[in-house]
Amino acid sequence: MSAGLDNLKHIVVLMMENRSFDHLLGGLMKKYPRINGLTGNESNPDTTGAIVAVQQKAEFQSQLDPDPDHHFPGVDLQIFGGQPQGPGRVANMQGFVKDYFSQTKDVGRSHNIMYYFDPNNLPVITTLATEYAVFNGWFSAIPGPTICNRAFAHYGTSFGQVGMDIFYILDNSIASIYERMIQGGGTAKIYYYDQQSSTMEIVNLLKNQPQIFATFDQFLGDCSGNTLPDYSFIEPCYNDHPGADGGQILASDQHPDHNVREGERFIGTVYNAIRTNPNLWPNTALLLVYDEHGGIYDHVVPPACTPDGYTASADATGTGAPFAFDRLGVRVPAVLISPWIARGTIVPGTESPNPQIYEHSAIPGTVTQFFLKGDAKRTIREQKSNNFLNLLTDTMRSDDDCVVFNNLS
Amino acid sequence: MPPKVIPVPKTDARAYNPNRRAGLLLQAQAVHLREALIKHVHELTTLINVDLKSLKSEGDISAYIHGATALLHTHAARPAKK
Repeated sequence: MSAGLDNLKHIVVLMMENRSFDHLLGGLMKKYPRINGLTGNESNPDTTGAIVAVQQKAEFQSQLDPDPDHHFPGVDLQIFGGQPQGPGRVANMQGFVKDYFSQTKDVGRSHNIMYYFDPNNLPVITTLATEYAVFNGWFSAIPGPTICNRAFAHYGTSFGQVGMDIFYILDNSIASIYERMIQGGGTAKIYYYDQQSSTMEIVNLLKNQPQIFATFDQFLGDCSGNTLPDYSFIEPCYNDHPGADGGQILASDQHPDHNVREGERFIGTVYNAIRTNPNLWPNTALLLVYDEHGGIYDHVVPPACTPDGYTASADATGTGAPFAFDRLGVRVPAVLISPWIARGTIVPGTESPNPQIYEHSAIPGTVTQFFLKGDAKRTIREQKSNNFLNLLTDTMRSDDDCVVFNNLS
Repeated sequence: MPPKVIPVPKTDARAYNPNRRAGLLLQAQAVHLREALIKHVHELTTLINVDLKSLKSEGDISAYIHGATALLHTHAARPAKK
């Protein structure tokens, strides 16, 4: 066991919304060649047959309205480029522009789905990605929308769901990671932003176990007061709404068409809350990850995975074919942050002969393994998942070697 | 030596738009919360409709109190610190 693991007391997961790896981090490859981002030559055909290359033209807001399709049939089109269902079809990531055209009805606007950010415009996530560990191969758990993907982060399965149905818990023998922690004598909290934003997908827990919920203000208080639980899951603000004092609260989830910069500020605030507390920083690991790609282009073909044990029917998938949970969804940004991680750590993905593939089941899988020593029922996907805490080393970086963000208040 | 400090630019003041059309995700969230409320109301109604005169034993009463307290506590609960 590494010294970093020996010192670890808290795991914090911040799950953002709907941005692909290439969209946020793909531009880093020019400066950091081992990051599996964009060369600039990646492309998709549009509905006229014209070739549309990726372009570093992403803006913070207004380019992705309407919200790009990321439901199961749409993601199938994005990944397989419209090849008919059946054996032998090969994923090619060639259907993103075509799929976005089905919503925009505007050929020019459909090209926006290929835009990616100038890294200089995203100082928080690009700094964290290059200062700590970035995953070249962290994929959403299934090629579908938010709810089923977030279910994998809470339960290690979506219980066969590929859509937005929250009432997915079909097997009561599989407890959420929060219930497992509490039953095992540990502590866990889901921090939602505020009551206007609430929690996205686990209303059954909100109703039955309100003690595991708290607001983001309380997260900040728990950080400064040294009362952070063993495991914390943070949800950003999901909508624009008035604040308690009449001010303006902006959505910080980065879900299109919410402002990406506001999400940057939220990520920076979470990081600073841990980083600036000397009682917390040496013994906390922060995982920043996105639930799914939101329909936005990524060039890496999602790999096959261990089947989940469930099968979604052809009616449920909407593609005309069933789905056996044997392929991951599109790649998403993921960064692991700790002073026990060497600067510039890049976790290899499918581009490597020795890939380390991750998906959201790794979250409950790793938390269960670390805090409960695996002494709780884990799903098949959790059992097969890689443990991201293996990235913690024996060497703790000095305080002056770890960045701080400012101008966040 | 102090750590490197990265300034984070402010969000454009024009970004705030509570009149933005709600997306499918937020609509789904409202549906889910409403369904949870319906289940909550069903449980409340079931308890309210219990004929209290039918509760004769301490066991009967304690079961009722248990159900009522659990519902009221859940309803009244506020997120609490660890």
